[in-house]
Amino acid sequence: MSEPVGHRPQTRREKSISALKRALGTSGGSRRAVSDPGRMGYVFSAPYFFHLALFFGYPLLFALILVFHRWDIVTPMEFIGLRNISRLLQDDLFFRAIRNTGFFLVIHIPLQIIVALFFAELLNAKLKGRSFFRTVYFLPVVVSGVVVAILFQQLFAFETGYINGVISALGGDRVPWLVSPAWAMPSIALMATWKNVGFYVILFLTGLQNIPDSMYEVAYLEGATTWQRWTQVTLPLLNPMLVTVVVLSTIGGFSLFIEPYLLTGGGPLSSTLSALLYIYNQAFYFNHMGYAAALGIFFALIIFVVVLLQRRFVEEDIY
Amino acid sequence: MKKPFAYIALVGGALVFAYPFVWMMLATFKPEMEIGRLALLPSEWTLESYRLVFESIPIGRSFLNSLVVVLIVTSSALLFGSMAGYAFTKINFRGRDAGYNIILFTMMVPFMVLLIPLYTLIVKFGWTDSLVGLIVPFMMNATAVLILRQSFLTIPTDLIEAARIDGCSEWRILFTIVWPLSIPALTTAGIIVFIGNWNEVLWPIMVVRNEDWMTMPQMVALFSVGGGAQSKLGPQLAAAFMLGLPIIIAFLLFQRHFISSLATSGLKG
Amino acid sequence: MNKTARLILFALAWVLVVTGCGRTETASDADGAPVRLTYWSSQNPQERELAMRLVDEWNALNPGVQVTVQPLPAGQSSEEVLLAAIVAGTTPDVCSNIWPGIVTDFIRADGVLALDVFPDFDSLMQSRVPDYLLERFRVDDGHVYQLPWKSNPIMMQYNVLIFREAGFEEPPRTYGEFLAAAEKISVDLDGDGQLDRWIGYRNIHPIWHERLFDYYSFYIAASGGKTLYEQNELRIDTTVSNQVLEFFGSLYGQGFFPKTKFQGNAFVSKQIATEFVGPWNIAWLEENAPADLEYAYAPLPVPDDYQGTSYTYGDYKNIAIFSSTEHPNDAWQFAKFLVSESADLQLLELATQIPIRKGLLTSPQFSSFFSDHPKLVPFAEQVLNTRGVEGVRSFPEILDAIAQQFEAAAVYGIRSPGEATRLAIQRIGVIEAWNSE
Repeated sequence: MSEPVGHRPQTRREKSISALKRALGTSGGSRRAVSDPGRMGYVFSAPYFFHLALFFGYPLLFALILVFHRWDIVTPMEFIGLRNISRLLQDDLFFRAIRNTGFFLVIHIPLQIIVALFFAELLNAKLKGRSFFRTVYFLPVVVSGVVVAILFQQLFAFETGYINGVISALGGDRVPWLVSPAWAMPSIALMATWKNVGFYVILFLTGLQNIPDSMYEVAYLEGATTWQRWTQVTLPLLNPMLVTVVVLSTIGGFSLFIEPYLLTGGGPLSSTLSALLYIYNQAFYFNHMGYAAALGIFFALIIFVVVLLQRRFVEEDIY
Repeated sequence: MKKPFAYIALVGGALVFAYPFVWMMLATFKPEMEIGRLALLPSEWTLESYRLVFESIPIGRSFLNSLVVVLIVTSSALLFGSMAGYAFTKINFRGRDAGYNIILFTMMVPFMVLLIPLYTLIVKFGWTDSLVGLIVPFMMNATAVLILRQSFLTIPTDLIEAARIDGCSEWRILFTIVWPLSIPALTTAGIIVFIGNWNEVLWPIMVVRNEDWMTMPQMVALFSVGGGAQSKLGPQLAAAFMLGLPIIIAFLLFQRHFISSLATSGLKG
Repeated sequence: MNKTARLILFALAWVLVVTGCGRTETASDADGAPVRLTYWSSQNPQERELAMRLVDEWNALNPGVQVTVQPLPAGQSSEEVLLAAIVAGTTPDVCSNIWPGIVTDFIRADGVLALDVFPDFDSLMQSRVPDYLLERFRVDDGHVYQLPWKSNPIMMQYNVLIFREAGFEEPPRTYGEFLAAAEKISVDLDGDGQLDRWIGYRNIHPIWHERLFDYYSFYIAASGGKTLYEQNELRIDTTVSNQVLEFFGSLYGQGFFPKTKFQGNAFVSKQIATEFVGPWNIAWLEENAPADLEYAYAPLPVPDDYQGTSYTYGDYKNIAIFSSTEHPNDAWQFAKFLVSESADLQLLELATQIPIRKGLLTSPQFSSFFSDHPKLVPFAEQVLNTRGVEGVRSFPEILDAIAQQFEAAAVYGIRSPGEATRLAIQRIGVIEAWNSE
């Protein structure tokens, strides 16, 4: 985590800070000895860490122990050494699920960036009504994934769905959104993009607004075309934000679960089986708690490595 | 960019993002047989879908459950989050950086790994089928700590020192000096915790099996995939629409806060 | 420090006060207060209505044992919910919606009570349950853990008018006849070049319990009443399995079944002409179908060379008493009440489901019901020739292995039926090996 992103001057806040300083400075009250403030550090952070130990530390430890056990939740655990792990290494479906998750990211991230950049660029021009548009684009972001899934189940239905209805009314061929193995994951990526892109529009917009006008003026004076200005000024200056967006959508994409859970159950032909959905099925359909724990830890390591690599990438890029 | 083109694209985008919601809203007032058709307006307006929802599930109660859960979780995350954030920025104590790094680490472990052990823990405490089981595990929130910490960093330390010399207790400093200066960060953190918790489905599905204590997103999801809706589309859409409505209204009322809050979370998280 | 401790205590107390009402209370039955029992019923509106009526009746008759009814909280499947409840110790006293396929796991978890220890268990079974079912639910330890309640045979529901228009007065009996009808019935009605009516439809989500109503039911029908197991040993008849997969393969391959998930009920909207369902569908259709929908029931289609009785899958749901109960005897009395003659009659009337009862069609108490409701007669007749599910471990996971292959071979046709059957058997072997090692 890097240092705080520079806040733009908040004048009102600064005023109150200096007012407070003045009040404290001139009060000249009884200068009692300060009680050891270090102690209060522990007092203040104790509730958090107590909670963290109980609801994060203990479960994590338990999960690590579970990796070496067979456990169906209802009968006692049974130590089985490394068998969960050897099973994992032979579990084609799990690796399929990881590949599916990767495929989702490969479609979702570029799509999201292009669409978000496009609308952010439009909104950055000083047009009337842009706060209205910004609000509308942001709407799907705040709404629960459950609502979006129920909605898209209807919109994406092959024979009876709204989108295909419009396509056939216009004379086109219906698209097998969720029913063809080739289309299903792209459809889910499309839906996820629709839901999240408003968020990234706002991020890019913030980034664009932080680019000083003078940079563009220089480019203009040098006779750069619009396209050149965009590739030579906007993009490089937007790069840190771009990397942030990639990292954020990667983490979000790895947790793909509720969309396939509600829309496809992982089908057709396991094409939308995400890693988390597979882990969920192992744990709660088939009661392989130990195995699910092994899958979970393994997947966590993958996420950890990917995020670490991206982190390094971020730092190289910024400094 | 040319203005007319920009407006066409903007309006097109607005249609893409808003039209599905408008369609959904109007579809909930259509007779069941009409929903599959392309017409936007119902030929006859009916509340039948809503009647079926209210008849089959205690959706009003689930709304109250969600509200109780989310309000307690949010206020607790802000209270304890700002205490921790304050300790991390304004108090020097041994292990401070290690503690902060631990919190960062917790954010990287996917929740799914902890799901099963956490569930067994909740079972041991006897907290299944109760709101306690939905609230207590989420009373602390790492994102809230991060956001608050970032904001507290910008408060000058000499201000805090001055207050200490004046004899203010750490509690008073936090609540009477730091909090008033951190309203935007508190709003941001509050909104993020609020939305995240309001929309959470997986955990309630595991912990609560008794209808009386279900949260609203959980109840709507189960109504839709379970047998409750009797494979009728109208009631499913009506339930989904009711689930979306409170947050849409809240969003439209406070949209500036929402947008800037979530944008900052993106920048800092 | 004191201050902090107080603040934390206060915060915790606050949380507990606000939310502490979440615990289920168990009233004590000392001091003459009534015994309280909790009863979980199925979630669909008809059965909820039935449960509420029965419980009201019981509560009026038994002031000393008051029952509270709750619909079984539905997840993706009720089995998931019940198992989690056993783990959490939040099971009800009585549940009437127990699928036999999961009872083995409940027994292993010590979740349910043996019912044959109640002195009048045998006499109740003798008087109510047909002979061939008496021993069906006895497990290896010699006990019976479920009271047979209802058995819903899966049959073919068809739209009489659509078939008549297409020139068929009789419903198709064999795969060949079904495919021939499919060719005439699956058509493009509005002339946009795309099919908009099909002979039938199955939910193609690869979720294990969906396969009970296609592959599993058709396997039983095509094999003349065999299941996947014999004496707890896997015995999948590959010929039969291949026939079933091939039949569904041609339905999907030629577009007679749409690969879609319909929104709303496609049978009611006449987009499909047949459905494979249990009798519960009658109650639903009576409430929701338009007046011009004429429908009837017939046995499931069988392979062309099949001769003999029509078998099918019977979706049994039984009653169990959970070991968490503090009042096993009262719970047993209530369970018996749930299978009384009047309760069975109400099950038929309100939910159109078939109770497990001797001489259903011949006894005077029930015969008038069936003459008023001729649609249920085929189901009551079929009940004698049904097969349920196996009491083997991990049955859901075994069905999941089949679901994966059904999807590949039947729905998407990327694998031959023979290969799919082989892979399913192989996968089931792996599952069993994992359990037994």
